[in-house]
Amino acid sequence: MARLLLDHVSKRYGDFHAVRDVTLEVADGEFVVLLGPSGCGKTTTLRMIAGFITPTAGSVHLGESDVTTLPPWKRNAGLVFQSYALFPHLSVAQNVAFGLEMRRLGKADIAARVAEALRLVRLEHLAGRLPRQLSGGQQQRVALARALAIRPDILLLDEPLSNLDAKLRQEVRVEIRELQRQLGLTTVMVTHDQEEALTMADRLVVMNEGAVRQIGSQRDLYERPADRFVAGFVGRGTFLEGRIEGPGRFRTEGGLVVRCADGAAGSAVLALRPERLEIAAMPLAGVDNSLPGKVEFVSYLGAASDVHVRLSPSDRVIVQIANRGDGFTPEIGATVHIGWSAAAARLFPAGSVGHDA
Amino acid sequence: MTLTTTARGNISALAAQRIATEERGGARLTAASLSAPATILVAIGLLIPLVILFRYSLNEFVAQRKMMVEAVTLANYVKFFTDPYYTNVLFRTLRVAITVTAICLVMGFPLAYVLARTQSRFKNLLIMLVVLPLFVGNAVRAAGWMTLFGSKGAINATLMGLGLISEPLEIMYTETAVIIGIAAVNLPFMVLSLQSVIEGIGRDVEEAAFSLGANPAAMFRRVLWPLALPGVLAGTILTFILGMNAYATPVLLGGPQFQMMGPLVYGQFAGVSNWPFGAAISFVLMTATLLLSVTANLIVQRRYRR
Repeated sequence: MARLLLDHVSKRYGDFHAVRDVTLEVADGEFVVLLGPSGCGKTTTLRMIAGFITPTAGSVHLGESDVTTLPPWKRNAGLVFQSYALFPHLSVAQNVAFGLEMRRLGKADIAARVAEALRLVRLEHLAGRLPRQLSGGQQQRVALARALAIRPDILLLDEPLSNLDAKLRQEVRVEIRELQRQLGLTTVMVTHDQEEALTMADRLVVMNEGAVRQIGSQRDLYERPADRFVAGFVGRGTFLEGRIEGPGRFRTEGGLVVRCADGAAGSAVLALRPERLEIAAMPLAGVDNSLPGKVEFVSYLGAASDVHVRLSPSDRVIVQIANRGDGFTPEIGATVHIGWSAAAARLFPAGSVGHDA
Repeated sequence: MTLTTTARGNISALAAQRIATEERGGARLTAASLSAPATILVAIGLLIPLVILFRYSLNEFVAQRKMMVEAVTLANYVKFFTDPYYTNVLFRTLRVAITVTAICLVMGFPLAYVLARTQSRFKNLLIMLVVLPLFVGNAVRAAGWMTLFGSKGAINATLMGLGLISEPLEIMYTETAVIIGIAAVNLPFMVLSLQSVIEGIGRDVEEAAFSLGANPAAMFRRVLWPLALPGVLAGTILTFILGMNAYATPVLLGGPQFQMMGPLVYGQFAGVSNWPFGAAISFVLMTATLLLSVTANLIVQRRYRR
């Protein structure tokens, strides 16, 4: 296992910046997840680590060596593909043995390490099967065993769970994470699924439009998002557009004045968490802000309900309330009051969604 | 309890089996009606003439009166295999067909790979270009090669003009000319057979091999080649059969001295009217082609399908 360093890595295709100036350090044994919507550059970044793409600028270091221009077969990276990419003509054991044969290990060594890798993923009993005779979940574990058998310096996971059904996905998440901890594997995973990212990662890297927007722990990203994009992508956000008028005063587009933390005057976006907004039939006392509004839409989601409340002709927020069976349940058309403390809201400069190139 | 469950299990299994059988019966009926037209055409156009031809190959030929006489004799086959002239023609044909197939495979694989993997929006155009040689008839194409290969042709004119040779090279009417000519025609069949199979092999499988430490040569040997094998076999057999049975190219580029099996058969039928011997040569040619194709197929499959 080794430490990974991406040093100001960029990849350009003509005028298109697939990845812009990404710097990232992954410590020995750390599990880092690259999270972002499709086309954000996370897969390109992973492929640069694996060696399938050479960066236009910057360098990639694995352990003590600079591997920027090294072809994939000279790096020691274990890669698990979204499609698993098992060799269809080779048995499970032969698939796992492939990387070891390429390393010219002795027959006895190979047999021992194949058995060990298959034991890790609990597939010893299927060693003789062909990939097409396995279920999706089993194929996924063969792919993992194949990547682990070479004892890689780094494990790279490219959306490894997206082809599994929802229930299996939750189990495999935990399995992979436990295995990673137990073996002390330096791991980089790519996903667009925030729940998956939050469950598995030691640290997350949120990317958008080729650039890193924020690097941090789950708590960092949720409690202190760096910009509006992160606030909307990690956890949920509900936003009020407007301007900061003076110290602690924010005026929404619809003309509502709310109290907020201090920020530089000018156009701004106030970001709120739907689950941290209070809702009541009466005006709320003891909070910084309490605004009346009209319920426009309610969606029942089982454990919680989303209530869409219009505060003014151009301001609408979403409030999430827990369904405990004893609480207040607003109806469409009802007048309600929404409250939050100034500290619960975050302010971002307007237009911070797009990349400021 | 267990007994009843098992019994019920057996009954439902039986029922399922019967339904499956009936369904299969239905499928068989449809399959039969769908394949009937082609089957009938092949039967009338190929099998029946072959049977007649085989019968003819056992007949006798009276040279003086140019007449076929009913008989049951292996004399025609004996004549073929005891006369070195004819066995030489057979060996030459085999040599040309095998060489052509090897050339097509070596040249066709990289081309097919590029075609299969290209992201270019001109892909369809590229495939058309590969098929282009087939748009030109055999005779026209051979005439084209003649302008290139002749003693005053483009190749010799260029080489002599550059002062690289003083005497014109003899390309025309050689085995080389015939091999080049047939290979050029057969290449599209090889490329298309390979391309369709390579397209079905995921790029990620190649990348998986690379990430596991395989360099491009090892990836090709361990992953691409075994997975492309069905296409290799199809292309190879197709090219080999076409090479064995080539007619126009050996006649036009090989000249009168250069004999291959195809022209030999035609010569016996049309030239000297010796139908029995022509029929025997046909069967030798067909048997050789079939035997080699099947043997090669078996060897390759045994080697790679463990």
